[in-house]
Amino acid sequence: MNILTLLIFIPVLFGLIIALLPSSVRSSFKYITLLATLIQLGISIWIYIHFKTGTAYGGINHEDQFQFVQKLPWIALNLGSMGKMQIDYFVGIDGMSITLLVMTSLVLVIATLSSWEIKSNLKGFFLLFLLLDMAVIGVFCALDFFLFYLFYELMLLPLYFLIGMWGGARREYAAIKFFLYTLFGSVFMLLVMVGLYLSVTDPATGNHTFNIIQMMNPANYSGQSIFSIAGHQTILGMPARTVGFVVLFIAFAIKVPVVPLHTWLPDAHVEAPTPVSIILAGILLKIGGYGIIRICLGIFPEVATTGAFWLGLLGVISILYGAFNALSQRDLKRMIAYSSVSHMGFVLLGIASQTAEGVSGAVMQMVSHGFLSTMLFFLVGVLYNRVHDRGIQHFRGLGSLMPKYTAFVMIAFFASLGLPGFSAFVAEAFTLAGAFKSPTVNGLLPYWMAVCGAVGILLGAAYFLWTLQRMFFGTESLKGGAVWKIALTDLNLREKLTLAPLALIALALGIMPSLVFDKINDSVLALIQFLQLK
Amino acid sequence: MHDLLPHISESLSNVLGSIIYFMPEVYLGLLFIVVLITDLIFGKRSTKLCRIVASAGLVLVMFKDLQQVALILDGPHLIFSNMLLLSRSGIFFKLIIDLLSFILLLYFTWDNKLKAHQKGLSDLYSIAMASVLGLHLMVMAVNLLSIYLAIEMVSIASYLMVAYRTENAFSTEAGLKYVLFGAASSAIMLYGISLLYGFSGTLDLADTIGQLSKVNPISSSFAVVLVLIGIGFKLSFVPIHFWVPDVYQGAPTPVTAYLSTVPKIAAFALLINFLSPFILASSWKGFDIGIALSIAGIVTMIAGNFAAVMQSNVKRMLAYSSIGHTGFALMAVVILTVQGVSVLTYYLFVYALANIGALVLANYFTNETGAEEVDDYRGLGLKYPTASVCFVIILISLTGLPVTAGFTGKLFVFSAVYSVYEQTHSIWLMLLMFTGALTTVVSLFYYIKIPMNLFLKRKEIAEINNKKSHNLLILSILISFMLVLLGIFPDLVLRYL
Repeated sequence: MNILTLLIFIPVLFGLIIALLPSSVRSSFKYITLLATLIQLGISIWIYIHFKTGTAYGGINHEDQFQFVQKLPWIALNLGSMGKMQIDYFVGIDGMSITLLVMTSLVLVIATLSSWEIKSNLKGFFLLFLLLDMAVIGVFCALDFFLFYLFYELMLLPLYFLIGMWGGARREYAAIKFFLYTLFGSVFMLLVMVGLYLSVTDPATGNHTFNIIQMMNPANYSGQSIFSIAGHQTILGMPARTVGFVVLFIAFAIKVPVVPLHTWLPDAHVEAPTPVSIILAGILLKIGGYGIIRICLGIFPEVATTGAFWLGLLGVISILYGAFNALSQRDLKRMIAYSSVSHMGFVLLGIASQTAEGVSGAVMQMVSHGFLSTMLFFLVGVLYNRVHDRGIQHFRGLGSLMPKYTAFVMIAFFASLGLPGFSAFVAEAFTLAGAFKSPTVNGLLPYWMAVCGAVGILLGAAYFLWTLQRMFFGTESLKGGAVWKIALTDLNLREKLTLAPLALIALALGIMPSLVFDKINDSVLALIQFLQLK
Repeated sequence: MHDLLPHISESLSNVLGSIIYFMPEVYLGLLFIVVLITDLIFGKRSTKLCRIVASAGLVLVMFKDLQQVALILDGPHLIFSNMLLLSRSGIFFKLIIDLLSFILLLYFTWDNKLKAHQKGLSDLYSIAMASVLGLHLMVMAVNLLSIYLAIEMVSIASYLMVAYRTENAFSTEAGLKYVLFGAASSAIMLYGISLLYGFSGTLDLADTIGQLSKVNPISSSFAVVLVLIGIGFKLSFVPIHFWVPDVYQGAPTPVTAYLSTVPKIAAFALLINFLSPFILASSWKGFDIGIALSIAGIVTMIAGNFAAVMQSNVKRMLAYSSIGHTGFALMAVVILTVQGVSVLTYYLFVYALANIGALVLANYFTNETGAEEVDDYRGLGLKYPTASVCFVIILISLTGLPVTAGFTGKLFVFSAVYSVYEQTHSIWLMLLMFTGALTTVVSLFYYIKIPMNLFLKRKEIAEINNKKSHNLLILSILISFMLVLLGIFPDLVLRYL
């Protein structure tokens, strides 16, 4: 049994157990789910430890350099004049996926722990949760485009129901908006996927293939095919490869989300229950970033280089626009949602710089933001569970009322705004170093973009500190008065146990970024080399 | 008369020789008579018996269909003096039609309203048998005369089925509308056929094309358009779709399930039979049929899907969505390659399965709670979890999202169209694919209304007297299971097509 396959399908196994158990034992469902995610975490840590590094394990466009690979023939159809269609069950990881995989497993454990707040219809909730779990892990492991797309789409339905059934007041609107937005991106991705698979033949078998790695090799494209580099085909008057890149980029940019495709995010976050917010911010947004690196850059490297300026520009706009929006929010969860938009902008900026520092920073930012946004949303959830209110102006002087809570909030805020010693600092520093280096090394990004990125950090500090000042400092004054004061108890043991590891990891990654960099470095270098060679 | 005498023995031997290629239809004919006699002998209480005879007989017919595969290993056969064509794709169309009809025959009595019909359902079974025979002929017809006869046979059966139980003014209106529009479209088609015959002096399609090159292209185009309108009525593509919503909503749900699936599949087979000579023959000088169909496909997809968004009645919504699916399937007809035909077969099979499933579940909820409008479904999801989960799976398949058969169907259609686009770079194909992708998003918007009402909206539900339609539930579970299975392993079916 392949370890990755095990990792992907463990949730399904536990989901079946939950499905078969009667509702009378519904209180045990959360423990079963917790067990599933803990086993996943154990496996992913095992994979992390046994993940080999070195130039022979760079991955990216070399199939033999991927690790823990499993490849099984799945669908093989004879399509007559079109040749044969070859779809494989093909999973494997390289440096780009390994750290995200570990981060995902941990975030899922935290999300399960925060599911204690869910009180209604537990069976449905945990079944959907486990289905979503399988899909997100699958996306990070899939190396066959068909399989990738399957997992990618499979995330939508559970999320729709998770937001729609357990969400807040405007949950229906938020759920359908999220679903339509993402589906809009992915149906066009389907068209590009079909075009790619008809363009690419597997040199070993001569069949049309969905293999992502084979799609990265220009030699595998047949001359007259639509996405062939030599063919210079056009779609509606535009170069076909540019169209393909843009369509895929839009699909992933909706997930990231990149301004101006971000409007689903604040709604979805505000309405979603805490565990779903955690998965959304912690994992789903990373799938967008991961997709851009693995698929957009991998399959259309030359378009990514010529369009790097625009990618960088969108990244900078996301950073600044997200930050300005965060400044003006009155709802704490909405503020954090916009801060996610801003932070994910750095990922795009780092990727656009196409330097080793920038891409490393981007991956680091995804990992770091995965942990920090989880922590932030969990903290919001703590407050919301107690008084069912999240208005920033409705609280004042929480510091004296909930000292332990305030301590964790301060850790999370300071880590997120990029205080040296925490993971976000390393990530943003590397991203900006990459952006500053880009003008001299490859001339893709102008200097002002890096400067704007730096301004974004400053704005980040502004909204976090301002929120801290408004809600936690000063004399105690609550909108709900004495009732709230009784309700606002300090953190309990479960919450402390959830938050402490996150805070420690944020610190550990800040002090020892090598935990991430060691594993991703070979792949980052391989990617940069691949982008330069094209 | 004397001149024809020498031909008699030749014609007779042709007819006799053709019969072995015609066995499923012979069986169907016999089956029709057997069901009719059973009905006559046993009277009102014969529903159960008719149902058993009809279903068992259809299994036998399917078996005969399968046997035909061995007969055409050396290529397609023209039988009965070029009246009918037996081809590999035709056999699979027939198999699918028989399989779906089998499911539908079982389903007829499970609708509480239809079951309560005082006349009993035995007549419905004999009508259905005749209709299936007509569908078989539609799939095989390649002569203008056989085309017309087959379509009429199916139409008349359909008129009877739609009006079988008219419980209120609305369904009576639906039945009458269907007859009127149907008769008008038949007349139009017959006029077109008569023009074609007048131009070419023959009813044989292949010969007709050759003769038409000598005719003014405008006149011949006009005649072809008239025939296409007749076929299009059965297919319900825009602009001849307007009867669909009323009829689908007004007819008894099992009949709607019947109308929206099997005649449509047969009509697609017929469309392919009719168009192949026009598209393949270089002598055709009239309008570009490929472009005309592309436009019809695009308009149909847009009109069907956008109109469905505004519907509040579940059956009416499914009616509009089936118009949208017709538009999507037209995409595969436009390219008209061997590949296109086999993916079309797969797509139609999967669509029909899901559509039957959706109507079965709509029927289930009507039986249990009387719900007909989307709003009536509010909060039922937690009350009927199994049925609601199946509904979600089936609707996801209709939308075309993974991991369901609807997704693989969509993917294969896109693949087939794309591969032709790669060679021809026709802008129409690109537009078709673009519209197909765009309308998928639109279709999600209305399909998701049902899960949204089932699960997301909350309502205190008063105690419901459970009538327990177990059969419907089991059928929908089986269909959902099939859809997911085909979503993961599409080659289970596709490899044979």
